[in-house]
Amino acid sequence: MSSKPCKVLVIIPACNEELNINNVIIDLRRKVPEADYIIVNDCSSDRTGEICRKNGYNYLDLPVNLGIGGGVQAGYRYALENGYDIAIQHDGDGQHDPAYIKDLISPIINGKADIVIGSRFVTGEGYQSSGPRRLGINFLSGLIKLCCGVSIKDVTSGYRGVNRRFIQIYAAEYAQDYPEPEAIISAAMYGARILEMPVVMHERRGGTSSISAWKSIYYIIKVSLAILTYRPAFARRNP
Amino acid sequence: MVPLMLQEVSLIGILIFFAAIFYLLKKKVLLLKYTLMWLFSGLVMAVVVIFPGLLNKFSMLVGIKTPSNALFAALIFIILLILMSLTSIISGLSVTNIKLAQSVALLEKRVRDLENMPTDMKQQKSS
Repeated sequence: MSSKPCKVLVIIPACNEELNINNVIIDLRRKVPEADYIIVNDCSSDRTGEICRKNGYNYLDLPVNLGIGGGVQAGYRYALENGYDIAIQHDGDGQHDPAYIKDLISPIINGKADIVIGSRFVTGEGYQSSGPRRLGINFLSGLIKLCCGVSIKDVTSGYRGVNRRFIQIYAAEYAQDYPEPEAIISAAMYGARILEMPVVMHERRGGTSSISAWKSIYYIIKVSLAILTYRPAFARRNP
Repeated sequence: MVPLMLQEVSLIGILIFFAAIFYLLKKKVLLLKYTLMWLFSGLVMAVVVIFPGLLNKFSMLVGIKTPSNALFAALIFIILLILMSLTSIISGLSVTNIKLAQSVALLEKRVRDLENMPTDMKQQKSS
């Protein structure tokens, strides 16, 4: 553990979150005042950008809509440029409670993990997602275990913390579309120690989720393919 | 046997095809890198038109009864190849596009921060 204090950045991807963004920031400032944050406004068509500007929030304005992957990656690039030691991904829709940020940080500071994932399924409290979705998550979790041997229960959780090394890796290369499970695979391939910490998530308060039920089939196929092809592709690039 | 008239018309068609490619190249609408596949497919067409016997041999070789069907199969295959290469080009473009959009956002934030900074701090920073 180093003597200088860790610089922590909370990356908050936000696309059309005018109903939630204020609460998220107020909550964050109250519960974790020592952490910096950056909102990544992913070309919202609603008042998200305007709210950020008026309140003097710290935000990035993407000129075109990149989706969650490109948005989060922009946050990692910001963390890298500004010399942060730890980056926390924290959704802008009010599903995540900033109170858990310290739980995500401490294993990284103590050197116990490179990546910490806030997991709904460790203790099984709070919002547990619907039945079919749970099935999909368990399937992807099994597939990831099969492909790279890491056992993660909540593979789709977008609430995670990473250390400096993985800020660099994710800034250079991050999955697009539905990046969460793929980011775990890529981290495992780079030899990350990944830890799951129990968190309680809320159901979203307003707005609509980025993944509708209709897109779930596409999601499962796309992510499965990404997981299956990641390892050979990685071996080719890093012999 | 392929009628001579058909052969002539096809040849003229292929010449127009090549002329169009070179015209677009000259106008710099197409990058040479991406025209190679079109030139290649034009070349294949030319060979087939000039030596129609090759088509018969090819169709017998792969076991297609009518040469015209073999021609269609070959055509579809070449078109698939071209489409796939287009997809790979688009994939490359979208990756660079994402990087650029992120860089623009990061720079825009730095400019905004500089603009919002009190003037004396700006001077401090530049000195």
